[in-house]
Amino acid sequence: MDDTRISLAHGNGGRFMRELIESVFVRHLGESTIDVQADAVPIDLDGGEVMITTDGFTVQPLEFPGGDIGSLAIHGTTNDLAVAGARPLYLTLNAFIEEGFEVEQLDRIVASLAQTARDVGVTVSAGDTKVVRNGEGGGLYLATTGVGVRLPGTQPSLTRISDGDVLIVSGTIGDHGTAVMLAREAFGLRGDVISDAASVIPFTEALLGLDGLRFMRDPTRGGLASVAHEILRATGFGVRLEPTVPVREPVQAVCDMLGYDPYYLACEGRVVAIVAREQADEAVAAWQAIEGGGDAARIGRIDGASQRVILETSLGGERFLEELEDDPLPRIC
Amino acid sequence: MSVANRRAERPLADASGPRCRARKITLRGHVQGVGFRPFVYRLATEHGLSGYVRNQLGEVEIVAAGDEPQLKRFERELIERAPPLARPELVDTSPFDGPSFSAFEISPSSEASDASIFIPPDYFMCDECRADLSDPADRRYRYPFTNCTQCGPRYTLIEALPYDRPNTSMASFPMCEDCEREYRDPADRRFHAEPVACPVCGPRLTFRDPARANDEHEEAALSATVDAIRDGRIVAVKGIGGYHLVCDARNELAVARLRRRKHRPKKPLAVMFPADKEDALRSICEQAVLDDKAAALITSPARPIVLLEKGADYSLAPGIAPGLDEIGVFLPYSPLHELLLSDVGGPLVATSGNVSGEPVLIDNAEADARLASVADAFLHHDRPIVRPADDSVYRTIGLKSRPIRIGRGAAPLEIQVPWQQAVPTLAVGGHMKATLALCWDDRVVISPHIGEMDAPRSLDVFEKVASDLQALYGVRVERIACDAHPGYTTHRWARQQGLPVETVWHHRAHASALAGEHNRNGRWLVFAWDGVGLGEDGSLWGGEALLGAPGDWHRVASLRPFRLPGGERAGREPWRSAAALHWECDRAWQPTRDPNGLARAAWVSDLNCPTSSAAGRLFDAAAAIVLGCDDVSFEAEGPMWLESLCREQRPPVDLKLAKDAEGIWRSDWQALLPMLADESLSAEHRAECFHSSMAQIVVDQASQLREEHNIEHIGLTGGVFQNRVLADTCIERLSASGFEVNLASALPCNDGGLCFGQAIELAARYDRNNADG
Repeated sequence: MDDTRISLAHGNGGRFMRELIESVFVRHLGESTIDVQADAVPIDLDGGEVMITTDGFTVQPLEFPGGDIGSLAIHGTTNDLAVAGARPLYLTLNAFIEEGFEVEQLDRIVASLAQTARDVGVTVSAGDTKVVRNGEGGGLYLATTGVGVRLPGTQPSLTRISDGDVLIVSGTIGDHGTAVMLAREAFGLRGDVISDAASVIPFTEALLGLDGLRFMRDPTRGGLASVAHEILRATGFGVRLEPTVPVREPVQAVCDMLGYDPYYLACEGRVVAIVAREQADEAVAAWQAIEGGGDAARIGRIDGASQRVILETSLGGERFLEELEDDPLPRIC
Repeated sequence: MSVANRRAERPLADASGPRCRARKITLRGHVQGVGFRPFVYRLATEHGLSGYVRNQLGEVEIVAAGDEPQLKRFERELIERAPPLARPELVDTSPFDGPSFSAFEISPSSEASDASIFIPPDYFMCDECRADLSDPADRRYRYPFTNCTQCGPRYTLIEALPYDRPNTSMASFPMCEDCEREYRDPADRRFHAEPVACPVCGPRLTFRDPARANDEHEEAALSATVDAIRDGRIVAVKGIGGYHLVCDARNELAVARLRRRKHRPKKPLAVMFPADKEDALRSICEQAVLDDKAAALITSPARPIVLLEKGADYSLAPGIAPGLDEIGVFLPYSPLHELLLSDVGGPLVATSGNVSGEPVLIDNAEADARLASVADAFLHHDRPIVRPADDSVYRTIGLKSRPIRIGRGAAPLEIQVPWQQAVPTLAVGGHMKATLALCWDDRVVISPHIGEMDAPRSLDVFEKVASDLQALYGVRVERIACDAHPGYTTHRWARQQGLPVETVWHHRAHASALAGEHNRNGRWLVFAWDGVGLGEDGSLWGGEALLGAPGDWHRVASLRPFRLPGGERAGREPWRSAAALHWECDRAWQPTRDPNGLARAAWVSDLNCPTSSAAGRLFDAAAAIVLGCDDVSFEAEGPMWLESLCREQRPPVDLKLAKDAEGIWRSDWQALLPMLADESLSAEHRAECFHSSMAQIVVDQASQLREEHNIEHIGLTGGVFQNRVLADTCIERLSASGFEVNLASALPCNDGGLCFGQAIELAARYDRNNADG
């Protein structure tokens, strides 16, 4: 059998599976408390309030400029905890591997995942692997559950949002979605656009001391537009986005060429925060002082007078930013 | 489409008395809010008749007694001499056998209970008010807000019904004694003219220059405006249905400044000309080619913008309509504009005071704020505008003036349908050039142009108009008709109203609007050619031929489909359409706008490249190939330039027509590409050949389909048929082939007519079976 590729036997619970776990997963993640023997492991939360989240990763391609599915799994899960005001501590990891997948690529991805976990400061404390038949999976899917403890300070919540609050963003939007799209379509322009996949923990923790902090969200799937619509749905307040939303020039250029709108594209290392108007400048300044926060900006405001998401254009116009459609069909031409 | 006038019964012979008779006459139609009762009063008095006139359940009831010859003349003149805005229809006339009367009087009527209410559009001042305006002895000499029952604002001023002054935006102007007297005098033409006003009690002008400490008022405001315009400045002028941005049409610098500030680099600007006392059209004739029909339309009380060919001695600023051989002209449409234009003494650019695509601004403070970066100064007045009505626009197509946009003076537009609509319905139209229609009983009332529905302000106005029309007409809708495209703002809105929603396919609505306007039984073949609308197979239609009748359309012909790189972006970037056609046929084509080949790669991967068969995109492609206009600043800019180049008819390129797998006849545009790209031919030649070929597609498809189907009427609709060269060529050749060709003439053939088509489609679904014929 070809030992450079995953076979169904790697998922049958026998020797191949044990060897795969030991040679790939334990080798990279061994320094954490992962225990391949135990059915369950204890975790120490030191008496804090437990926060838990779960996430699945199916990104294609598995490796893209600026990251891969492994680093994405760590950032995606820990960022969800971070924007909720928690410090991420532990993760569980499920890997669904497609029959025929290259072991070398798996190794690369798990190594990246492990390195990212170390950088972020989380421990992968339990895991599982399954092998699915050829053609039934996109090479590799990951599913993670993250556990953290709530940090002291303001507890961000949608219910804290009020009319006149300000939206800020920690950096440019659309980089990740554009980078992945370009990589997926093999357009050969990888160098121009790099995913923003990164930990937002420094950004979220920087705001927890502000009593004017209302809410934080990482604009992943559906992008900034979906965050705005989530706020509208949850609070009944309209959202106005100003022409100051930072978009990197190559990202804008690609979107212009392909007919996409960066407001709908995913970020994997950005935070949108809602803060009280009087603390907005302070919050932006705090973010700009953080490495990777140079593009942080005020990007909009909560408008209690309307129940719409409106984009203000640089020419003084306004247009609706509608909720993302499954299949955006041109309306005009 | 109107109720047939019933023949009058013969009066009963009355041998006993003298030749004195009494008759009861009932009229309907547009007889309320247009000064009809005072007219009846004056006419009856003139003929020495006694009796009364009153509004009764939406009709006007007249009882008149007097000499039989006088009575007869009275009856005839009720129709013949009716005031210009009234359109009376005789319902019944019969002998009246009741008490006698000592005089003729206007009896009180409860207007609130009236069933048939007509909200008139806003009309230019009548000749009599115009005479007052220029009579130094008249108390309304040079008063910019003079009006009477025959003229002035209506739709933009009515807050609620009954149509009484407290329910208008004139409520805050208590009448002075003189106005009150006129208002109460049945013999006066201002009898119950709700917006009646004079310099003593009425609205007044304010000139505001942000750079100056003090505002100017009334005559000083007007003269400050005139000075500013003469100095080459841009002034936002509040009119009847909204603000205009105004500047000197002969001052190229001012025009360029206006374009720069309004972010409107090329889209043509309308020009308002002074109306000469002796010959209102004299100054227009100096700049443009005018025929009798256009002249009649320009001088009509609706005072629309009419597109005319530039004259040989055209001398206005080149920036007004760059690259085009047409210019949009209109005459002053209110006393204020009459004064302004005659004081300036020359033509003015007058373009809607709005942010591009949004409804025209109507509120003083909002205009101050939102036009601050465009206008140097403001000419405000203090009569509130309740809802906007942008200028109407007409173009001559197929030897007839046809609306491109219905607005002030033309709308609300009512069309009567020959069936009863069982469920009151709101038809919400499309996404661009939005209008909406209120439908109930046998009536469809279509709103003025609202705007492009991407803009939140458009939706605000849309919602207000939808609710105002229901309130004004006393109709509460129970159903909404909308376009099938789920991404249209109007579609989304429809879904949020908690009412049953009926969707109508875009091109069926286009076809039904045309068929509904012409209201002919029998099978239609309608060519619905436009920019893009969602088709029944999920692709973007726009080059379709539909066969059938409202409620029963079948697509029978179309164009060879192609995939548009970048989807919606194609609308402002014709290079994408040009690339799509070339790539579809494997022809080498390297767009300069796609230097890295990214669009091409996305097209190969089918990433955001929806399939389309839209004729509008073929026109874009042709403009991009022939003229190199890769990017445009407004819809149809490229096609308008291309049309402008056409001088003569050329033979068409031979294009294949064949049935596809689904049995749809498809015209293949491929053979056009070598011709369009052949730089040994002049641009004019190629433009002419292209138009001829596109027209021939229509003719060939129609001829082919006639062999398979019984076709009684041919229709051309959709925004592409605003192209006169195309439409006229189609009409000429189809007529030569024995077809009778129908085009929209009451409503725009573009998306501004969709709401009416939706109404017709719903009626066909539910109501027409119950029609009595």
